Amino acid sequence: MSRRARRYRHLIDQALSDVRRQEALHRFGDAYLAARAEAFAGLDFAGLRHDIADMKDTVRNDWPAYLHKFMQQAETSGAKVFLARDAQAANAYIAELAQCHGARLAVKSKSMASEEIALNHGLEAIGVRVVETDLGEWIVQLAGQRPSHMVMPAIHMFRDQVAELFGNLTGQQESEDIAHLVEVARRTLRQEFLNADLGISGANLAVVEDGSLALVTNEGNARLVATIPPVHVVLVGIDKLVPSLEDAVRVLQVLPRSATAQAATSYVTWLRGPAPGREQQRELHIVLLDNGRSKLASSEEGRDAWRCLRCGACANVCPVYQAIGGHVFGHVYVGSIGIVLTAFLHGLEAAAELIQACIGCRSCVEVCPAHIDLEHIILGLRRRLAADEGVGTIKDLVFKRVLRNRRLFHGLLRTAARMQKPLTGNATSIRHLPLFFSSLTEWRTLPAIAPRPLRDLLAEQPTATAPRLRVALFGGCAAEFVLPDIGLALARLLRHFNIELVYPEGQSCCGIPALYAGDAATATELARQNVLALAQTQADAVITVCPTCTSALTRHFPDLLAGDPTLADCATGLAAITRDAAVLLSEQLGNASPVAPTTIAGRVTYHDSCHLRRGSEVYLQPRQVLAAAGWHLTEMAHPDRCCGFGGSYSVLGQPAIARAIAQDKLDDIIATGAEVVAADCPGCLMMLHGLVEKRGLPIRVAHSVELLASSLDDQ
Amino acid sequence: MKTPATLVEQFCQAATRAGALTVRCVSAEAAIAYILRHAGGSIVLPDCPAALQLNLAERLRAQGGKVICGDLFQAAPTAAAGITGANFALADTGTVVLESTAQAVRLASTLPERHFVLLNPHKILPDHMAAVPLLRRLHSRQSPDFIAFITGPSRTADIERVLTIGVHGPRELHILLLDELSDDFLEN
Ligand code: SF4
Ligand code: SF4
Repeated sequence: MSRRARRYRHLIDQALSDVRRQEALHRFGDAYLAARAEAFAGLDFAGLRHDIADMKDTVRNDWPAYLHKFMQQAETSGAKVFLARDAQAANAYIAELAQCHGARLAVKSKSMASEEIALNHGLEAIGVRVVETDLGEWIVQLAGQRPSHMVMPAIHMFRDQVAELFGNLTGQQESEDIAHLVEVARRTLRQEFLNADLGISGANLAVVEDGSLALVTNEGNARLVATIPPVHVVLVGIDKLVPSLEDAVRVLQVLPRSATAQAATSYVTWLRGPAPGREQQRELHIVLLDNGRSKLASSEEGRDAWRCLRCGACANVCPVYQAIGGHVFGHVYVGSIGIVLTAFLHGLEAAAELIQACIGCRSCVEVCPAHIDLEHIILGLRRRLAADEGVGTIKDLVFKRVLRNRRLFHGLLRTAARMQKPLTGNATSIRHLPLFFSSLTEWRTLPAIAPRPLRDLLAEQPTATAPRLRVALFGGCAAEFVLPDIGLALARLLRHFNIELVYPEGQSCCGIPALYAGDAATATELARQNVLALAQTQADAVITVCPTCTSALTRHFPDLLAGDPTLADCATGLAAITRDAAVLLSEQLGNASPVAPTTIAGRVTYHDSCHLRRGSEVYLQPRQVLAAAGWHLTEMAHPDRCCGFGGSYSVLGQPAIARAIAQDKLDDIIATGAEVVAADCPGCLMMLHGLVEKRGLPIRVAHSVELLASSLDDQ
Repeated sequence: MKTPATLVEQFCQAATRAGALTVRCVSAEAAIAYILRHAGGSIVLPDCPAALQLNLAERLRAQGGKVICGDLFQAAPTAAAGITGANFALADTGTVVLESTAQAVRLASTLPERHFVLLNPHKILPDHMAAVPLLRRLHSRQSPDFIAFITGPSRTADIERVLTIGVHGPRELHILLLDELSDDFLEN
């Protein structure tokens, strides 16, 4: 393990031991989701974010022209405009300006761009005292820290800590009463505003049509920064350009709703030119910051991140963020977008550990108001990281030598199944085998490799007579080698519905483990093998019992094989007919001979797998299947929160984070009192089973397909 | 242009949700009496069309109000109240729109403890999108130009996410709906 990785693991352990903060971030995440849903009620979120993405893409594709026009317009309005290529240029310009005006004190309204270029540091070096005036940012400044959230910088701190900081400043004991603490801030900062020589703020929007800026705040500090000091500097990224006022208003519709679940913030300040001061003419300087943004715009893999509105929603919902907080899961920018921006603005090396810490649950993708597929970009970064640093010697060997060769891979698994028998209970024996799900450690029990793989078991099953449909099952490693009962249950159900099931012999690992580890070459080779095997069956549909495999078939195979002249069309064709088992079954329930249990089977709770819920938007169908199977469903809290596994074949970069996330899931399950927990993903099932078994809980863990199949017994 | 009663109703509800107080005043006298009852001390009053039209300074003073006009830089930071007009308002979020390019208007609406806004209820638009053409006209009319969208009082949730009112700006936002004001959307 590299020194960097060791250091990061240490930071994670420290973060995970801070239980109070973790709980606070969880409570925040829950409250945020509920409030956000309310704030967007009655609005067409999908439509809004689609429009915003389109608008931002238009600007991005032609940004030099938009930038030029904005600069012209802003100059016409009386502002002085400077385009800063990088952090150094921006810092130098602002420092010179401060010196020109003999500035001693600068008041700042929250600006992430200024954090990005470490502006305070630059100004303090030339003797300018800089005071943050956003309450959270000020607290963080007093504590000598950096923001742990883009919208709520001090979300990691508590009132007693704030009282202590303020007490140090005022020289007296300050009460922990929040209203009192806010009053202390108001009094103290009011003086700073009145004495300041320089005001510095960011801007949320730069409107090209007329060179105006929009500043969005709740506290009102940006208004004071723009009103009182004789000179106002606005530092704004070139990605904040929007063509028109209509576009600006569209952004304002989603930004506060996404950031703080408010319909509108207290203040939106529209600024065009330097508003007059007391005697002298005030100055407005607009520093437009590139600092890697133009590079981002031209990067095939990352350019969608240009759309970002900096709302922070992606961090709010991220289970990794909730577990370890923004100081560890972030650099300057935090959370999901933090990974991407860090990679592009501060370099891949700075982002390396963050990239590995993401568990790929796609929660961030679901809420992003700019419609950025963050998880996809992170995946691309992983690939690039692997190209730079290698995927790790052992993994590299496994992927290139073993995984690409199905016979060898399957042969090894079969041997493993035999080998583990005399070693029952000795968990370590499994860990050296080339099986990704074996990175599981002592905090849950390990899944055992089944004595016989699914393909052997299916070969012994009777087939449907005169079938109505012919479907090919894509098993996936977990269902084939660890949990073959799911496939058997599906075979039984399909017979019941008079559907023929074929299991193509040539199918192998879906390649996601390699892809997630950054080894795109192995993933492409596996995509090729699988597409060939499946295409030969000429089936009406391809069915999976693993949503990660579904995402491989529907999203990644067409991507990976896009340049393959013989297989590209084939991959797209297969993608179109691939479905999760629950979808097919729920369709069949209405059809043919229904499964009709006579008694209530019991109480079940359902866990929505990340890749099924957010990858395929499937969540109703499994519930229909459970109902048809005679189970009474008790919903758990946060059914769609990740179990920690992050997809069936997650190569867990950071097992400690997964453990923390898994404990939350288990608590939610226990609270329902259900005797069975169902999920539609072998990865989740292994995770949940391991957790339940380790704690000795009398809870059964099952795939919904299995529950439906056993209801056939009751008939 | 007449604002339908439902729009006024919607505006008042949204503004109340955002933490503002909305008061319908039958006459300028009623508005003045309300301000005097709630000001709680000295009042800063910028020269703005609403103030001039209602002859506010004089009438407030006549009833014992301590009113400061002219250069507000010294008085505003410690004033109890500031009064401004409003160009127009937005019903969907309960927002008042105030062109505040003149520094006195900005000082009166940002620094005192409470902010009284005089709004002609006939100048309420349904939503933000409807405000864009006006925003465009205001922006193109003059430069520099400073326009404030104000929705409720100043607030923060930066300590433990507990909503707290009045961190830098006014703790109270009183919106007085009064017919006898200019119906020009470009004037406040
Ligand atoms: S995919 Fe999940 S873990 Fe990764 S950044 Fe997004 S929310 Fe966080
Ligand atoms: S990536 Fe999306 S969710 Fe995250 S801050 Fe940017 S706009 Fe918000």
